Amino acid sequence: MKRLGIIALLTIFSLSGVMAQLIKVDQEVFGMDCAPCAYGLERGLKKMDGLEKVQVSLNDGKAYLKLASDNKLTLQKIQEEVRNNGFSAKNAEVTIVGQLVKNENAWQVNVNGETFIVSSDTPSEIVKSLNTGKIKLKVFVKDKEDNHLNGTWDIRIVEVLKS
Amino acid sequence: MKRTAFLILLTVTAISKVSAQGHGPLYGLQTPTLAKGGFDFNVAAMSLATEDDQSFMLRYIWSYGVTEDLQINITTPTMVNRLSEAPRTRGNNNMPANGDIEASVWYRFFSNAFGVGKRFESTAILSVSTPTKESRGGINVSNSIHGAISTGYASRTWYAWVGGGYQYYFEEGNDQLGDLPYASLVVGYRPNIFMGDYPKPDWRVFVESLAEFPGTSTSEGQLIPIDQRGKKVMIGPSFLGLYGAWGISFGALFPLYQDITQGPKEEYRLSMNISYWL
Repeated sequence: MKRLGIIALLTIFSLSGVMAQLIKVDQEVFGMDCAPCAYGLERGLKKMDGLEKVQVSLNDGKAYLKLASDNKLTLQKIQEEVRNNGFSAKNAEVTIVGQLVKNENAWQVNVNGETFIVSSDTPSEIVKSLNTGKIKLKVFVKDKEDNHLNGTWDIRIVEVLKS
Repeated sequence: MKRTAFLILLTVTAISKVSAQGHGPLYGLQTPTLAKGGFDFNVAAMSLATEDDQSFMLRYIWSYGVTEDLQINITTPTMVNRLSEAPRTRGNNNMPANGDIEASVWYRFFSNAFGVGKRFESTAILSVSTPTKESRGGINVSNSIHGAISTGYASRTWYAWVGGGYQYYFEEGNDQLGDLPYASLVVGYRPNIFMGDYPKPDWRVFVESLAEFPGTSTSEGQLIPIDQRGKKVMIGPSFLGLYGAWGISFGALFPLYQDITQGPKEEYRLSMNISYWL
């Protein structure tokens, strides 16, 4: 019975680990001004593993990414690809599934090795509703200097989609 | 040999990421560099007409983005008709106007993308050229070096680049072509009707101008007292259309001012360029 319990616990943990991922990323891109710029970025992003759909809009200055299930892609890799194309990755609107934990009075979500730290400008009613465990969130990821990407992001929670 | 070349091209294509930029003016200095790992192939047709004669040349340019800020280029010509007294000028920032083979490095040393579709950047260019014909206008032609710097602004609506360059020819058999300092100014505009979002075709129009100040050549160790090549200011329109991985640009330059005291005056320059981003 004890053994079965351990196996069940392990299965739950491993499942929740697999499910932690980026679902959707709307990445703002500065400096992209021409059709070949958009074409190059779209082709570059499409070569990354874990993407289901990529669309780049010149007029919006955004790359719209829908990620495949069980992907291992990180926001850092996406922003690095933007930089490799000669542009600057700015803010992003991201849908994530991950483990919400409280660390030194700050909420954070861990996804594929990246840490999304909930910032103080998240509406208080949303913060009050948070509980540790698996969660699906729509978040606004704040811009970081392109040269200082380290997999840690400040986020403002826009909506709790599932907890 | 053909098969080897084809295999090399295929390999390069396979390892290359698709590039982005390289979408500026036809004649003037510009700043965009290719994406990291980007590969670009250009074919250009150029013509330069004087009162007496007209040159025709095809050029091929291969470019590769080493990083998003560092690009290497090589260009080779097919001369259809050479001018016997060719003006000393450049085709554009990575193309000689004469029959030289040229390799160049572009380094975008400053870039500030400060808004959606907007950026301000500066690029330095260093080139080395070798001639495909021994003499030009009766003067022995040697290898040359070329350096240029440009800075500019690009947005979805307006473009502007300003820059300057200098080409220096080494001595060859007691002869030496004069140097070529030049300045470049380009303004570009995209009307609202061409503001369709990607992947729709993307068109823009430029007004380009070049000011050229060729130095005096040396023949058999002596400065040529009356140089046939005078100072010039050229101006004209060019158009750039972009669709997916393809780009086409065409345009003309006409003399606004030229102080040639001897020899044929220049009448116009024509150019058309087709780009493909692999």
